[in-house]
Amino acid sequence: MTKRQLGLALIALALWASVGILAVDVLDAGQFQGIGPAQQSALAIAGGVLLLGVSLLPLGERPA
Amino acid sequence: MSAHTPPRRAWQTAVLTLPRLLIALALLAFIGYFIVYAIYAVRLFQFPFDYDQGEGFELMDTLLFSQGQWPYRSNASYPFYSSNYPPIFHLAVAPLVWLFGPHYWTGRLVSFLGTLVTAVAIGYAVQHVGKRWWLSTLSGLAFLASNYIYHVGPLFRQHMFMVMFETLAVIGVTLAIEREEESGKRQTGRLLLVMALLLLAGYTKQLAYATVAAVFIFLFLRRPLRAVLWAVGFAAVTALIFFWINWATDGMWLLNTVTANLNPFVPGQAVGLFRQWFGLHVVITVAALAYALYQLYFERLSAYSIWLVLAVVNGVTAGKWGAGESYFATAIAASCVLTGIAFGRLLNGAEKRGFMRYAAGLTLVPLLLLFQADRLFHAPTDIPAFATVARTLGWPTAVMIAPQTSCSAPQPARPVPYVDSAGVSLLGRPPTPADTAAGIAISELIAQGETAAFSEDAGFNLYLGRDVVTNPTQLLNLYNNNAVDLDEMLSMLDRQAFDTVVLRAQFYPPPVLDVIGQRYETTDLVEMNNFVYCIMRPRDLARSD
Repeated sequence: MTKRQLGLALIALALWASVGILAVDVLDAGQFQGIGPAQQSALAIAGGVLLLGVSLLPLGERPA
Repeated sequence: MSAHTPPRRAWQTAVLTLPRLLIALALLAFIGYFIVYAIYAVRLFQFPFDYDQGEGFELMDTLLFSQGQWPYRSNASYPFYSSNYPPIFHLAVAPLVWLFGPHYWTGRLVSFLGTLVTAVAIGYAVQHVGKRWWLSTLSGLAFLASNYIYHVGPLFRQHMFMVMFETLAVIGVTLAIEREEESGKRQTGRLLLVMALLLLAGYTKQLAYATVAAVFIFLFLRRPLRAVLWAVGFAAVTALIFFWINWATDGMWLLNTVTANLNPFVPGQAVGLFRQWFGLHVVITVAALAYALYQLYFERLSAYSIWLVLAVVNGVTAGKWGAGESYFATAIAASCVLTGIAFGRLLNGAEKRGFMRYAAGLTLVPLLLLFQADRLFHAPTDIPAFATVARTLGWPTAVMIAPQTSCSAPQPARPVPYVDSAGVSLLGRPPTPADTAAGIAISELIAQGETAAFSEDAGFNLYLGRDVVTNPTQLLNLYNNNAVDLDEMLSMLDRQAFDTVVLRAQFYPPPVLDVIGQRYETTDLVEMNNFVYCIMRPRDLARSD
């Protein structure tokens, strides 16, 4: 697997996780109205993973 | 200082005196921690009752396995006992129970030995890359010096045995892939061994799933198709064992190891433990994460780096009710490996770039490890030498702690001769002869009656050779998941079928505590391990009415 593929995988993981975190509100499964503190933390982590993934894209075909 | 150090000139030897002294000091500090750890372990081996809540139930699990019985049972009928842990650790201890009987030292010894194996494995992994004996030794000893490993390592708990299998598996996969890439030959046998170690880790404690994921992600990064094939096989074997145990226990395995572990998440507990873990292990954590980031951008990711990241992320589960600091043990093991390798590579690189850079690196590394040693300070100060060390380093020689009183009136704090940079801890203070005497006193109070005690600790009934009745935290977990029928238990308590009730932390489900309060009254208070135990006897109902 290459660094670029790993970056894409991390981006996909972050986006998928973000959708899941926000879906908690759609399904009304959270304890808070709106985005709760745990969701905010999880979204921040997902954002970090997204940035990490983006930063790997320029590394191209080097092995991960 | 390395295996291939060229001859040096006199001034260079003189310059290296300071780093050598610092390395000697670092070794002294971490060997000191090892001595502290060994003393704590030996004193725990000598203590015949529960030190940590839950130890007695793991002994009970072992006892049942040694008798050829499953500990995954119905909680609805007498003795209302079941276990929520997988079997490997208890099976490993069972031969000692066959030979010597159901003693606490059996499992404590096995767990302690497991931590030593982990430390040696960490040292081996670091030595394999860095080839510096002192750095490899310090990396292994740093694991044992962690406050968390110290607290939990010599307890009759399965957690550190899981960490041992995890560490061996990750080192095993690293060596297997390294050999495969060097020789071009498949290492199927070695990978099978890694799978066996992962299976053992998972069937020691469920938390090993993070390490399983780390190993398969590593394999996937190297050869995706092979990783998928191995993962399918691994999942199939894991599932087969799972469903076989579930079939053999009539569904009690699934109920007690899965349903009973769906506990509420306490965010404050998770955040507090994350902060404490990072503060205590700051050097090895920052060095390990920095090295993992370096690998991410500048070379190939190692299994250790992936393991570290997943173990740290999995640390969030420490916020689950019933979880705690030990959930960071895997991250600590991974940090020790990566830090040792990072420092080794740093020194090897510096050595090639000139003597002064090498000397600077050789000074910096032990200094950082000495700083780390200071962050981890813990010592039982009832031993005069340790009290002197604590005083010299500016630590107090005692900590004021109030006895834990859940079922009796609060008591004022009093000095406890144990100092720990983790703060006030219920674990770590070696038990004393007074604690043993207190345990015997509680057992003698139970022995005045005819029946087994309805006790939150298993140790007293085990000491008397009576039935172990209930596993309170397990009951509470099942109760919170609406998965237990308490009718028979409540009926027996209501009929005062137990001559004695022993409470320590009131972990029983509320309806159980209610009926105990109605039908039993406290007659004696006995303090053991800084906990005040309430010994309760049946109320005189005619008088009460």
